[in-house]
Amino acid sequence: MSIEFTIDGKVFSAEPGQTILEVARANGIEIPSLCREQRISKTTSCFVCVVKDCKTGRFLPSCSACPAPGQEISSNTDEVWDMRRTALNLLLSEHSGDCEAPCTLACPAHAAVEEYVRAGRQGDFLKALTIIKERIPLPMTIGRVCPRFCEKDCRRNVYGKPVAINDFKRLAADLYYDTYMEKLPEETGKRVAIVGAGPAGLSAAYYLRLKGVAVTVFEAMPKAGGMTRYGIPEYRLPKKAVLDREIAHFEKLGVSFEYNRTLGKDLSLEDLKKDFDAVIIAIGCWKASGLRCEGEELAVPGIDFLRNVAENDNVAANPGKTIVVGGGNTAMDCVRTSVRLGSSDVSCFYRRTEAEMPAEKIEIAEAKEEGVKFEFLIAPVKLEKRQDKLVLTCRKMELGEPDASGRRKPVEVPGSDFEVEADTVIAAIGQGTMAPEGLPVNRWGNLESETPAPGLYAAGDCVSGAATVVEGVASGRRAALAVCKDLLGLEEKAESTIFVSRGSWQSLKREDLVFLRNDVSEKDRAKQDLIPIEERVSSFAEVAATMPPERVMAEGERCIECSCTDKKNCKLRQHAETYSCDVDAFKGEKIAVSYDTRHPLIIQDRGKCIKCGTCVKVCKEVVNKTLLSLKLRGFSTCVGTAFDGGFPDNCAECGACVDACPTGALDWRHKA
Amino acid sequence: MDEKFSFLTKIAAEPSNLIKGLQAIQAAEGYVSNDAINAAAEYFGIPPVEVEGVLSFYAQFKRVKPGKYQIAVCDGTACHIKGAPLVHEWLKQELGLAPGETDADGLFSVETVACLGCCSLAPVISINGRVYAKLDRKNLKKILKEYAEK
Amino acid sequence: MKIKFLRVGVASCGIAAGADKVFEKLCEKAGDIPVIGVGCLGHCYAEPLVEAVTEDGSSILFRDVKGTDEAIDNILSLGEKDRFEIPEKRKKHELVKVLALAGKVNPTDISDYIANGGYEGLKKALTLSPEEVVNQVKISGLRGRGGGGFPTGTKWSFLAAKQAEEKILICNADEGDPGAFMDRSLMESVPHQLLEGMLIAAYATGATKLFIYCRAEYPMAIKHLRIAIEQIYAAKLNIVNGRSLEIIIKEGAGAFVCGEETALIASLEGKRGTPRFRPPFPTDSGYKTFPTMINNVETFGNVPVILREGGEEFAKTGTESSKGTKLFALAGDLKNPGLVEVPMGKTLNEIVFEIGGADKDNVKAVQIGGPSGGCIPVELFDTPVDYDSLKALGAIIGSGGLIVIGKDRCMVETARYFLDFTHRESCGKCTFCRVGTMRMFETLERIVAGKGKESDLEMLEDLGKKIKAGALCGLGQTAPNPVLATLRYFRNEYEDHVIRHRCTAHQCNELVKLEIDSSKCIKCKLCIKTCPVDAIDGNFNIDAEKCTRCNSCFDVCPKNAIFRTDLEENK
Repeated sequence: MSIEFTIDGKVFSAEPGQTILEVARANGIEIPSLCREQRISKTTSCFVCVVKDCKTGRFLPSCSACPAPGQEISSNTDEVWDMRRTALNLLLSEHSGDCEAPCTLACPAHAAVEEYVRAGRQGDFLKALTIIKERIPLPMTIGRVCPRFCEKDCRRNVYGKPVAINDFKRLAADLYYDTYMEKLPEETGKRVAIVGAGPAGLSAAYYLRLKGVAVTVFEAMPKAGGMTRYGIPEYRLPKKAVLDREIAHFEKLGVSFEYNRTLGKDLSLEDLKKDFDAVIIAIGCWKASGLRCEGEELAVPGIDFLRNVAENDNVAANPGKTIVVGGGNTAMDCVRTSVRLGSSDVSCFYRRTEAEMPAEKIEIAEAKEEGVKFEFLIAPVKLEKRQDKLVLTCRKMELGEPDASGRRKPVEVPGSDFEVEADTVIAAIGQGTMAPEGLPVNRWGNLESETPAPGLYAAGDCVSGAATVVEGVASGRRAALAVCKDLLGLEEKAESTIFVSRGSWQSLKREDLVFLRNDVSEKDRAKQDLIPIEERVSSFAEVAATMPPERVMAEGERCIECSCTDKKNCKLRQHAETYSCDVDAFKGEKIAVSYDTRHPLIIQDRGKCIKCGTCVKVCKEVVNKTLLSLKLRGFSTCVGTAFDGGFPDNCAECGACVDACPTGALDWRHKA
Repeated sequence: MDEKFSFLTKIAAEPSNLIKGLQAIQAAEGYVSNDAINAAAEYFGIPPVEVEGVLSFYAQFKRVKPGKYQIAVCDGTACHIKGAPLVHEWLKQELGLAPGETDADGLFSVETVACLGCCSLAPVISINGRVYAKLDRKNLKKILKEYAEK
Repeated sequence: MKIKFLRVGVASCGIAAGADKVFEKLCEKAGDIPVIGVGCLGHCYAEPLVEAVTEDGSSILFRDVKGTDEAIDNILSLGEKDRFEIPEKRKKHELVKVLALAGKVNPTDISDYIANGGYEGLKKALTLSPEEVVNQVKISGLRGRGGGGFPTGTKWSFLAAKQAEEKILICNADEGDPGAFMDRSLMESVPHQLLEGMLIAAYATGATKLFIYCRAEYPMAIKHLRIAIEQIYAAKLNIVNGRSLEIIIKEGAGAFVCGEETALIASLEGKRGTPRFRPPFPTDSGYKTFPTMINNVETFGNVPVILREGGEEFAKTGTESSKGTKLFALAGDLKNPGLVEVPMGKTLNEIVFEIGGADKDNVKAVQIGGPSGGCIPVELFDTPVDYDSLKALGAIIGSGGLIVIGKDRCMVETARYFLDFTHRESCGKCTFCRVGTMRMFETLERIVAGKGKESDLEMLEDLGKKIKAGALCGLGQTAPNPVLATLRYFRNEYEDHVIRHRCTAHQCNELVKLEIDSSKCIKCKLCIKTCPVDAIDGNFNIDAEKCTRCNSCFDVCPKNAIFRTDLEENK
């Protein structure tokens, strides 16, 4: 005797005892559920499966409600979605965990940091390289010059120093770069032109090649690499030993390069658009900003200074007494390069204090070691030439209110002007884009959009303004994906929008961290070996050496492995994505984290539990053991073992509870 | 089964009597210890973890030994609006005890209970089951003194 | 005039007021006059209450009786002191049917009950066929008194129609609503009336096993029921349909949710008291999967009345949709708190002001139906109290707890209090109730602390509606009611808290300070001596930083010179 009823206006028949959810699923109607597990009695807990009974106006958990004759169910209205979204938002509001590790979230390229560090820890640097290259196609370079966004958010900062993440990239790339080769698919016949062989252009080329797209890169300079070649000095990134090898790999991948082709000079956008299926502009920021004071033309622009040194194989005249104005990484590159060119008197003038300097701390420290002097709260007012010397008039500054960037704004101190003499004054103030004519630019002179016109894409510094290599690489990848989508109809799986987080390390205490392994290393952060200081100041030899594998592997033992064990399969996260949930929709107390890693194979992380009791019922009704029970009630409800003693000896480690858990509350400790 | 809990045999050994058994244990011991859980589990044929699950669900059961005199502060609606939070404040001042705590001598313990059903006489407390009504700070002090001197 | 016998109200409420001492003293001094400990007359505000019944059958009541020789002698000599007359206004509205014997018979003496017409209903029922009994209940129009208001006769017919090896009848005596004590009073005062109702139901439905699920917090009720059951066994009154029925008392262990029938059944089975989705309804699959029917104490208490006077007669009382009388527990800000039985359909004005003696100028609202109900503002007090009228106002009749809220009470704080209760009583099974009530509670906590935002009010309304629509059981489905009702009728108070950071009732501690009115102060220094944190200086200034708002000074001040007022910055 079957029961006739409707779902979303369509008539279905159900056998007695069949639930609405079962009927819906059997007929291809998608209803989400976290707590329904066919092998056990109903849990009726998550309420993510609600549907509306149109006649009574009530919302029913479809996992438990059996259809009644003539019932009219709606499963797909805004109202039903809103209820499901609310249930999910409520679950997310009590959910405590990390959908993704903070290092990965911090990385502009979203590289799977935890995963490649783990491969490295296990000594499998080839695997590490494979993971790295999914997001970072210039690992040898980035492994040397990256400002390490990931390490700034590393949870090890809670106690001690962050894991030396970037050294994993550097070692993995150094070890396997010449032998590593990607598998390329068949050619699609599509052809893309990329203007600019810097990090963004190379990255775009890389990801296009991996999809079988033919790529020609047009470069204004005689060699590829962009700012990594002509901006970053040799002592940080050796050109022959490192950069040339990195570029050679692109040639191996079939990327063709055409050098000495400058857009707007011997290359026109119109021609490119005619000859290719798509064009990506990645021309970077090559226009230096001046000192913005009288006589600024007497100063050497920082990037021009660096480029000149690079173009001449690190041979250039001693600049004599040098003043570099600016506080960024380019300024540091200029002072340290000046030292290496033989100057014994190099100063950096910066208008705020050291705390506000945008340059990397390590760069500042190394510059100081090399004898560079720093003068803070000083701004140039005038530059003039007197006899064969330059005279820089400066004004003292003091810090005022914070500006839009959050840094305190320097304010002039009236009547504090003074003069300094120098042979060379370098302006390392900033860089801008030399935008091709006809493309809209923003108020900083950078291209306004990553997709300026149909068939035309833009990536890297020319869109974002001068940024880091890893940001350029990330941008290049985005452009490549956009091209693939438009040309080939390839839709990359969208990045997750749901990131529950335990919070930034600044807000956490050691007790708040979840240690997946019992033997996380307590050692101090591994250090790079630096060449002797005499050698540093007198040559362009690479300052830091690649760490040996044993040291990097040992460093990997310091990783806490913050990300959720279940990040790929968590049903809560998946449904939350589908239902466009907001992890902050409801704010409130979360149960204090109390995870259990007493079992060698299984972790119970109660902060992630949705209290559905599926594990309890699976252990009791399927495994016939009853080793778990729901305890307490209300908001404090939790799943526990007898006397909270952990899984007892008679646990067969069958994993049924782990498999049934809809989230990572019960999971294998072993991360693949 | 532990001799101590032999009184359980007066109750039929079927799972539906678990709560009754736990109540008998608490009546005898003042609380339910781990040993008691094991004894009940064995007697009623329910795994200890499930006994704990049941026990922890109900507000009546205590897992730690309470004081000799158990002060239950009624926080029913009437008592609440008539000043149950103040009663707690006074107890905190007089005995230094917050709900759920027992003093070092094991003399007094304080807990909050749902309505004692004497709403018309609010605010009320009970000490070892005896109800004291229309409390104010003065007579609470007097009552506590009487118990302390007993 | 000679005293024939004396009755002392020794239900829990009487004892709490000191009736046990009075009882002892009377026994000691009364010589051969019998002194009978009886239940509650409902006039809790006048406890301890003693009734002297004279040879000629008249009754003289004494109120607030102290256990002193003087007071006892006054009673024994029928003195003029401490005399108590039931207020005329109350007499006008009251209709005592279910509670007719409360305070009149010895609860532990079955013969006293029988002598006063007890078990007549059962006798009558046994002369009818079970179907006819069910029919009488249907005709009476009785609806469940536990809150839901489902027609009792219909429920009985469901169980009666079942064929099963065992059929279970359960009395829900887990009166969990804070502020309700009708069931306690009935069980303590006339336990046989409940049992008579259950036996009639067992006869009508063919039930084979009877349970009473009673709160452990009601020790006297349990004791009286135990004694009554023994007496029933001895009198063989439990032999129904040729079977000797067992009546089992199970004590609840402190879980409000067990008032929900599927949770109650789980608890009876010895499990965690979590509800399950219905259907199947208990009448199809209940205790250990047997067909099971649950009625509450007051519902069963009505049954002997129906049988005695007939369903048709019963139905003459009350309104179109709500028949019979209803017990209300009056508490809060009123002169005469206690228990009262009135016909369905009396207005709140009649109940609160005329019976309860509340001060017309100092009442803001009533909270009816406990944490599942809602508040009704004084402007709507001409509403008749029946199932449907209250539902239309966003409240429910519930089990009958009626709390009067005075003008100096904060409605936001009242709502916070109820959510504090419900979120702690949530069983934790379904997401909407477990997390949703917690989030509502936290938001209210923020608001009473002056940290709320205007957007919190929309959030409370939206989430509240969703919890009502989505939660698994009655607890969650009604938990938002106190918030939604106060938002509906007292939104201005919420806005005061979130926009102006003021509590107009001066109740929310974090938004007020205490001050001393120097025109009233007599400088007796009692406040200074009493203050536990030394917040009051020699010039009678209260340091708002030190002060914990414990109200100790407020309570000791002989001149009421201390008052609560807005914090400076919020004035």
